[in-house]
Amino acid sequence: MDSLDHLKTWTAASAFGSSGQRAPLSACRSASQENGNIVSGGPSIIRKPGAYRSNLELTNSLRSNFVAAQEDYAAIAAADHNNNNHQTNGAANGAANGNGLHVDTERGGRPPAEVWTATEDGALFVPRIDWSQAGLQEEPAQYDITVKLFFLETEAVAKRAQHAKEALDLVLRELDAPAVDLLIVSFPGMSFEGDCEWEADRKNATQGNDEEELAAWAAIEQLHLAGLAKKIGLAEFGTEKLDRFLKKVQVRPAVNQINIKNCCNVPPPLLKLAKEQSIELLAHSDCLDILPKGTLRELLGPGLGGAGILADPEKGTGGLQGDLAPQWVVKYTAVVRDRGVIENKGYFAGAELVEEA
Amino acid sequence: MGLLALGTALDWPDAKTKAGQVRAWGIKQLLEIWNKAKGKERDAMLWGDEVEYLVVTYSKDDPKVLLSLRQADILAALASDKKLSTAGCNPVLPDGSQPLANDPPPVFHPEFGRFMLETTPGKPWGIEFKELLNVEPNMKLRRCIAKDHMLPNEFPITLTTFPRLGSPGVFTEPSYPVSGPKLRSQFVPDEIANPHIRFPTLAANIRSRRGRKVQVNVPVFRDENTPWPWKDPTVNYDLHQWPEDDDVRNGAAPDNFIHMDAMAFGMGSCCLQITFQAKNLNEGRQMYDQLSPLGPILLALTAATPIYKGFLADTDVRWNQISKAVDDRTPEELGEKPLKTSRWRIPKSRYASNSTYISEDSRLRPEYLDPNLVIDPEIKQQLLDGGMDDRLATHFAHLFIRDPIVIFNEDLEVLDLSKTDHFENIQSTNWQHMRFKPPPADNSIGWRVEFRPMEIQITDFENAAFSVFMVLITRAILSFDLNFYIPITRVDENMETAHKRDAVLNDKFWFRRNLFPAQRAARGGSGASSPAGSRTNSRPPSPIGPVEDEYRLMSVNEIINGTAYAGGSEGEDEFPGLIPLVESYLDSVNVDVTTRCQLATYLDLIRKRASGELWTAARWIRKVVAEHPEYKKDSVVSEEITKDLVGKVISIGEGGEAAKGVKGLEDLLGWFVR
Repeated sequence: MDSLDHLKTWTAASAFGSSGQRAPLSACRSASQENGNIVSGGPSIIRKPGAYRSNLELTNSLRSNFVAAQEDYAAIAAADHNNNNHQTNGAANGAANGNGLHVDTERGGRPPAEVWTATEDGALFVPRIDWSQAGLQEEPAQYDITVKLFFLETEAVAKRAQHAKEALDLVLRELDAPAVDLLIVSFPGMSFEGDCEWEADRKNATQGNDEEELAAWAAIEQLHLAGLAKKIGLAEFGTEKLDRFLKKVQVRPAVNQINIKNCCNVPPPLLKLAKEQSIELLAHSDCLDILPKGTLRELLGPGLGGAGILADPEKGTGGLQGDLAPQWVVKYTAVVRDRGVIENKGYFAGAELVEEA
Repeated sequence: MGLLALGTALDWPDAKTKAGQVRAWGIKQLLEIWNKAKGKERDAMLWGDEVEYLVVTYSKDDPKVLLSLRQADILAALASDKKLSTAGCNPVLPDGSQPLANDPPPVFHPEFGRFMLETTPGKPWGIEFKELLNVEPNMKLRRCIAKDHMLPNEFPITLTTFPRLGSPGVFTEPSYPVSGPKLRSQFVPDEIANPHIRFPTLAANIRSRRGRKVQVNVPVFRDENTPWPWKDPTVNYDLHQWPEDDDVRNGAAPDNFIHMDAMAFGMGSCCLQITFQAKNLNEGRQMYDQLSPLGPILLALTAATPIYKGFLADTDVRWNQISKAVDDRTPEELGEKPLKTSRWRIPKSRYASNSTYISEDSRLRPEYLDPNLVIDPEIKQQLLDGGMDDRLATHFAHLFIRDPIVIFNEDLEVLDLSKTDHFENIQSTNWQHMRFKPPPADNSIGWRVEFRPMEIQITDFENAAFSVFMVLITRAILSFDLNFYIPITRVDENMETAHKRDAVLNDKFWFRRNLFPAQRAARGGSGASSPAGSRTNSRPPSPIGPVEDEYRLMSVNEIINGTAYAGGSEGEDEFPGLIPLVESYLDSVNVDVTTRCQLATYLDLIRKRASGELWTAARWIRKVVAEHPEYKKDSVVSEEITKDLVGKVISIGEGGEAAKGVKGLEDLLGWFVR
C-alpha cells in the first residue's frame, strides 16, 4: 500500500463511489421480512441468513461493486504484466453464482488498492470510476433524474454546502447530464414515525435543527438557481416544521418526501398544507439511517468481506490509517420519461479520513 | 374482436380454396409492415384495458334471470349518444371536481355473443402513476354508461360466463329455438351469436372445416349426491335435424363431462385483456417472452368460471372451454386419422397457450423452445427472404399454419399493401395467451403486446387492481431486467394446472428460481483508460447448468408474495415474489403518497388472493351455490340459484351500500368492499 501513503493528507473531498448500471432492488423492507435479502439483484445478493440490515441496498451495492472492481482490475493488471500472480482465484465464479463475498484475505487474493482505486483531486475513489463509461443510453432530456442527498450525522454542518455541490457534481458526471430534475435533501435526526399520524406529525415538529437546515437549504437554492437542479425538495418535514421552513426560504421546495409505514395515514394537516402550497408529497422507503456507524469501516476494512483499503493495526497489514467519518450519501435514479423504466440507479458516498493523533 | 368489414363471406368449401392466397397476401402485408416499422423507436409506454360484460335481464319479482340479446340496440343507443362523457355517470369527488370530465368518452364494441359488450377507455393510458388511479373510476364510468343505455331491467355484469347458457328451457330474452343452420347446436340458437356475418360464418366454418361440431366437454364437479357415473341429462340423443346431430351418438358426450357443442360456449366468455405498447420491436419481443410464463399464474389467480350449462364444473377457469369451442382442426390434424389432405398434425387449438418465444434475448436458451413446434417452412423462408430474423419468422410461420376462417370475396380482388387485413385475418384468429401485434399499416402506433389470460372479475376494483398490477410488473421486468424464462412446454403444463379447482390454494406451478441477471451488467468495457484485453473479457462466462435446475414447482402464493411471505418450501431456495418486486420498483420511482396508497390497496388485494386470505370468484361462486337452500348437492345449478347468484353479482358490481348487503362478500373482497 506504499503508493497510497500520500493520501494520508486526505481532505474532506474524499469520495468513493459506487454506481450501478442496472437498478438494484430496494432496501428498506421492514425487519420482519427476510426478503431484505433480495436487495440488489444478481451477484450482490447475500445468501447468509441473518445478514439483514436496514440499509442493505446501499451497503450491498457498495460491497458488490468493490468485489467486482477488484476482480476486474486485478485481471487487467494480470494481463498487463503477463503475470498470473495477481489473479484472484475463484472470486469470479463466486460472484457469478450469487455469493459475492469470496475475497480470501488470508490467501492474499485481494489485489493491491492502487490497482482498483484512483486518486483524483485529492480524493480517493473506491473503486476507481471509468468516466469514459459514464452517461445514459439516450440523451438526458429523455429521463427524469432524481437525486436524493443524505446529510449524515457525522458531517460537519458547515461543510454541507460544499458537500452538496460535490455530490451533485459526481452524479451529473456519472450520468453525463447537465442538470437533474429533482434534488431532494434529507437531514439527519428527522423521521415520520409515531403510533398514529397525528403523533408522528407532532414529534416531527421538534426534530432536526431549523437554523442548520435553512443554512443548508440556501446552498441547495444556489444549485437550483445555477440550473443544476430543476426542482428541489425536502424529506421528512411535518406540518409545523414545513410551515416554519416555508416562511424563511427564498426558493420553496417543490417536493416533500415522507417515509411513513402506512402511506395511507398521511396527517391531514400536512396534506392540506402541501396542497395549499403546491408541494408534492412523495412517498419513499429509504432508511432513516442510510449508512449506520461502522458500516464504512467494515466495508473498507481488512476483515472478511471488507475491501482491504483500511489498515489492520492488529495484524499489521498495510492500508490507510485513521478513522473514517462518513459525510454524505447521494442516491440517484434515472427513469425513462413516458416509459416508467428505471434505467440507472446508484449511490455515491463521501467520507473523511481522520488521521489518528 | 377486430374490425368488422362488410362483404360476402365465403362458405368453408369456397374459403378453403382461397386459404393459400390469403396466407400469401397476409405474409406480403406482414413484410410490408415489418420493413416499415422494424426501426420504430421510442414509442411511449401506453396501455389499454378491455373489459367485457354479459348483459342480463333481472328483476326481483321475475323468477328468471336471462341473457339479453339486445346487443345491437344497446350499441345503437350508445352510438347515438354523443355526450357519453358528460353523462350522469361521471364521478364527482368531494371537492366537486370531476376527474374524468375531460377524458374522451369510452368506446363500446360488439363481441361474439349477442349478450356481450366490450368496452375500452376512450384513449390509451400512460404511465404517469396518478393516471393509474383513473383506471378504476373509468371502468366504473363505463359500467354506468352501459347501464344507462339499457332497459331498466337489464344489467351489465362481469361474470366470465352465464351459468345457465345452453340449459334446457328459456335462458335468453327473446328466446329462440335451438338447432339452427349455422351453429347446429342442440343447446343454443343461432341467434346467440352477433348477427354480423363475420360471426355466424366464423362458427359455421369452424364446424365445417372440423367436419363435425366442436366438442366442449368439461368435467363435472362430483358432489355428495351427484349420480356417478354422471351422464349429462341435457343431451338429446334423438335429434335428427342436421348431420352433426350424430356427433352425440358417436361418443361426443362422454360420461362425467358437461357436454357443449357450440362456439358460443367458449367465445361467449368475458375476460380482462391488457395491451401494452413497447418502445420498440425488441422491447415488445422481450415483454412478450417475459409475460408468457406469467399467463398461467394470472389465470389461476383470476379464476372465475366454475359453472357451465347449469352444472358445477370440476375446473375453475374458462380457458380450455374456449380452446375447444373454436378448435377447427380436422381429424387428420388432430392425429385421429393418417395425414392425407391436411398438411400436418397440430397439437393445439387455435386458441391455446403460446407455443414459442420470440425474443432475440441472449438469455433465451435453445432448450426453452419446443423442438416439435409446427411451422410452415415455405412461409418462414419467405419471411427470412424478406429480411425478418429467424426467431420472429418462426413465430409467424407457426401462426400461419392455420387456415383463414372468414374470407370476404371482395378482399381477394387486389392485394392492397396499405392494409393489413389478410395478415390480421390469420393473426387475430390465433388466440394465444399472448399476442404480438405489429403496428398498423400506417405505422401510427408502436409494437404492442397483449396479455390475454386473465378472467374478468366481478368488480371494477378487482379489474383495475389486476390491470394495474400487470402494468407495474412490466415496468419491474424492464427496470430490473427480470428473467422469467422456463421451457415453453412447462408453461403449457402450468396452463393445465391453472384449470384445477382452487389451483391457487392447492397446486404448484413451474417457475424460474432466479429472476436476476446471473452476472451483473459489464461495468467496464474497453474504455479509454483500460488496457487492451478489456475488462469485459476478464471473467469467464458464468457456467450454465442444466435447464431443469433453473426452475422448480412453486405455489401461486410463493410466486406472487415470495417465499418469505408464503412460508416457502422445506429445503428450497428463496424466491422474492412478484409483489415485492413491484414494491421495489415503486420504491425507486417518485410516487405521491395518495397514489402510492391506492396502489398499495391493489397490491394488497392480489397478495391476499394469492395467499388464500381472500377467495377467487370461482371459489366464492361455488360457496354461493353450495349454501343455497335450493341446492341439492347434485352439481345442478338451478334457475333459482342462478337468479340469486346473478342478483348478488349485480349488487356487488354496483358497489357501495348495495354491495355491503351481500352476505359472504367478505370472503371475496375482505375490507376492500367499497
